[in-house]
Amino acid sequence: MHKTSRFFLILLVCILIVSSVGCKKSSGRNGKLYLYNWTYYTPDSLVEQFEKETGIDVVIDNFASNEEMFAKIMAGGNEGYDVIFPSSDYTAIMIKLGLLAELDHNLLPNLKYLSPLFKEKAAYDPTYRYSVPYFMGSSGIAVNTERVPSDYERTWAIFADARMAGSMSMLDDMREVMGAALKHLGYSGNSTDIEELQRATDLINTQWKPNLVKFDSESFGKAFSRGEFVVVHAYPENVFAEISADKWSTIDFFIPPEGGMMYIDNMVIPKGARNNQAAHAFINFIHDPKNYAVFLDTFSLPPTTNTGASAFMKTEHTFFSIEDLSNSDNISDLGSNLELYNELWQTIRYQ
Amino acid sequence: MNYHKYQSKSGFSFSYVMLALVVVFLFIPLFVVVFFSFNSAKGMQWDHASLIWYKTLIFNSPSLWAAFKNSLIIALTSAVTATALGSLAAIGIKWYRFHGRSYITTVSYLPMVLPEVIIGISMLIFFSAVKVRLGMFTIFAAHTTFNLPFVFMMVTARLDEFDYSTVEAARDLGANERQTLTKVIIPSIIPAVLSGFLMCITMSLEDFVITFFVSGPGSGTLPLYVYSMIRYGVSPVINALSFVMILGTMVIAFTFRKFLKTVAASS
Amino acid sequence: MKKTLKPREREQLLGTIYGGPMGLWFTLFFTVPLGIIILYSFMKRGLYGGVEWEFTLTAYKQMFNPSFAMVVVRTLWISVLSTFLCILIAIPCGYAMAKSKHQTFLLFLIIIPFWTNSLIRIYAWISILSTEGFINSVLMRLGLIDQGLKLIYNNGAVVLVLIYMYLPFAILPLFTTIDKFDFSLLDAARDLGATKLGSIVRVMFPNIKSGLSTAFIFTFIPIFGAYTVPLLVGGKDSTMIGNIIVDQVSKTRNWPLASAFSMILTLISLVGVFWMLYNGKREQMQKEGGTKKTTQQALEHNIKAHHSHRGTK
Repeated sequence: MHKTSRFFLILLVCILIVSSVGCKKSSGRNGKLYLYNWTYYTPDSLVEQFEKETGIDVVIDNFASNEEMFAKIMAGGNEGYDVIFPSSDYTAIMIKLGLLAELDHNLLPNLKYLSPLFKEKAAYDPTYRYSVPYFMGSSGIAVNTERVPSDYERTWAIFADARMAGSMSMLDDMREVMGAALKHLGYSGNSTDIEELQRATDLINTQWKPNLVKFDSESFGKAFSRGEFVVVHAYPENVFAEISADKWSTIDFFIPPEGGMMYIDNMVIPKGARNNQAAHAFINFIHDPKNYAVFLDTFSLPPTTNTGASAFMKTEHTFFSIEDLSNSDNISDLGSNLELYNELWQTIRYQ
Repeated sequence: MNYHKYQSKSGFSFSYVMLALVVVFLFIPLFVVVFFSFNSAKGMQWDHASLIWYKTLIFNSPSLWAAFKNSLIIALTSAVTATALGSLAAIGIKWYRFHGRSYITTVSYLPMVLPEVIIGISMLIFFSAVKVRLGMFTIFAAHTTFNLPFVFMMVTARLDEFDYSTVEAARDLGANERQTLTKVIIPSIIPAVLSGFLMCITMSLEDFVITFFVSGPGSGTLPLYVYSMIRYGVSPVINALSFVMILGTMVIAFTFRKFLKTVAASS
Repeated sequence: MKKTLKPREREQLLGTIYGGPMGLWFTLFFTVPLGIIILYSFMKRGLYGGVEWEFTLTAYKQMFNPSFAMVVVRTLWISVLSTFLCILIAIPCGYAMAKSKHQTFLLFLIIIPFWTNSLIRIYAWISILSTEGFINSVLMRLGLIDQGLKLIYNNGAVVLVLIYMYLPFAILPLFTTIDKFDFSLLDAARDLGATKLGSIVRVMFPNIKSGLSTAFIFTFIPIFGAYTVPLLVGGKDSTMIGNIIVDQVSKTRNWPLASAFSMILTLISLVGVFWMLYNGKREQMQKEGGTKKTTQQALEHNIKAHHSHRGTK
């Protein structure tokens, strides 16, 4: 018994040593910064650069959806984080619920690089009192041109194309999917008219759903790269990150001309955040055009938010352009009308 | 007479074949995981054999190790707590009658059997109702809670086979309660306590659903880290880590092989 | 403490000291949370999650929504099928293990995969079952098929992976019970003319009832509440009750509804646990009543039972 327990103890000590060696070496002499961000949304190189420049240790937790983030925040996770990245609809909710700290613009000189066009879209917080936009983007459709017949329709109706049945997926996101149907029918993506919503639901249930394999917001990129799905409702960065650059020309990513659903992801500081100073420093750091360009280049995204960055960008071919967003609607908070969507979404998702 | 008619066919009998098939079935995914940990390419296409992911694992995966460290801390603390509480309770329930005894007996099986989503959600709702911040403590509390039944069960099973007359003899010789406990009871239940402890560590390291609900800032564990990699596929670094962990558990299981039987016996 | 307590009081005190800490822990971190869920299922939902203090049965009424009915039916058949197959496979395995001379080694083999991270194992299955995964590439290499079979993102994949994940839970209890079974009874039955299968079914099965019920409970209930497997390997028609509960908490923020579903799941689990405990107790009482019998007597008892059964035909 003694021998085995000694052996076990030694093993344990070894494991602890290895794991602490593997852990980050930085001492974080200026404190720690806790981020709550979408998975892989901020390039590691930027985070490391921030740590080097400021001496602040950054710890990142990830979420895969706004709802997941919000459920955690509401359950008391609010004070643990210093910077959170909610989309605009949830930013509006968090402002309404008084969860956010007011920003000190004196600490954010780089706000001057933000696109002025933005203020129109950011109706939920036009003076950036509580939030600073991180990125304005959109979901779209990615098609594997090597595996589909060449005459597919470049609109949302592609999902009604039975030739690709069994190899298509849409996002598991109520606002995205119903918004797509609403836009396809010519309505607003934020409609609260029950008839329009019913028509959109019927469109999805009768024409699109029979051809879909799965509603997937998380692993569609990998499934697409494996050839499991040939048409996916997707965020471009997730799809292209899975595929080597030499095959990018075989992927047709587009935002349908009838418009889609845009999102604006923001950086916010929750009330009671422990490291308020560092949080401001991080937000300011991100919007330094040189740094923001790194973010854009990493994911081949267009400079929708920070116009100063375009001067520093190296990528020529971005996944979509700002013009593509002209018909799109920004996902906004619907308040109690969300219940209308919920009931219809249940018939889509569960039946 | 033909007493051995039954035994002689056991060479290639149906049940042995079945068992062999099942073992193969259980190991297939493990082989896949290990196989691809040596693949130099990231995806399913085999490129050439390489140790690159192992190198990345050891030298270039800070967030993975941070998550692993959290997992380890929580596993150890919750296992120690659960083992202590569970073993003592098993002793109490087995030999003493007191108020609340039947309550404990009934309740103690439940966390093992209830679906994990229920436990996870109820703890999330509980912590938010009493305004406890989610983090390492909440994960620790949740893990201890679902570990307790295993320890309780294993120690109880061992106590079932324990000869109470030893205790009576000790008392007759003048030992008080504490001495009886430390010198008579505990030494003989050590196997069960240890297997309970190991079981706790395993269940804790492995848990995903419950941890998912009650984790907070900076308290991500290894399974959560793996899950967050879904969006960008599972990097083969995870495969490399899995292989290392499989080896590790094999070593530990082999060391404690005597106790494996107790593990099965108490389930 | 030289105060002399009456033996009954002493027992009470000591018992409480031993059992108290765990009892308190359970009450705080298990019973109370469950209680809160019961409470919440009768409350009105808050707009942004949480509840408002108003008694209502809306959540339970919502549960009878037709879209949920389909999910419940699906969860039932997937659970029943998976559990049935698990147990069917586990019985011969437990039998073989009990008769084997290498029991510890076999236990080792069964448990090791179970000790690997469950998410990793599910991912491995995804890569095995994919259209361009292991199985399909082998089949295509052998020329048996032209195009990849759709083996994943459907209910079949869910059943397969669920069986995979929960087989050890079925095998272990059955192995334990069969191990305690007296195999000479089977020899005796064979001598009386029963076939091999017949002797197993009519002599062994009735005696391993507690193992069977334990195996059933430990597979059925977790499978019934499964969440990760249908999420990762299921298709659009594979939603199960576990997924609904999580959706209602994270996505729709309808905590009362999530609580209502959880209540039903918990009730079913409780019924199952009580049934299992009852079976275990009954078997234990039978054993205690019967340990005085020797194998010879047990044999005679079974022979009598056998004859009386045939006599009533």
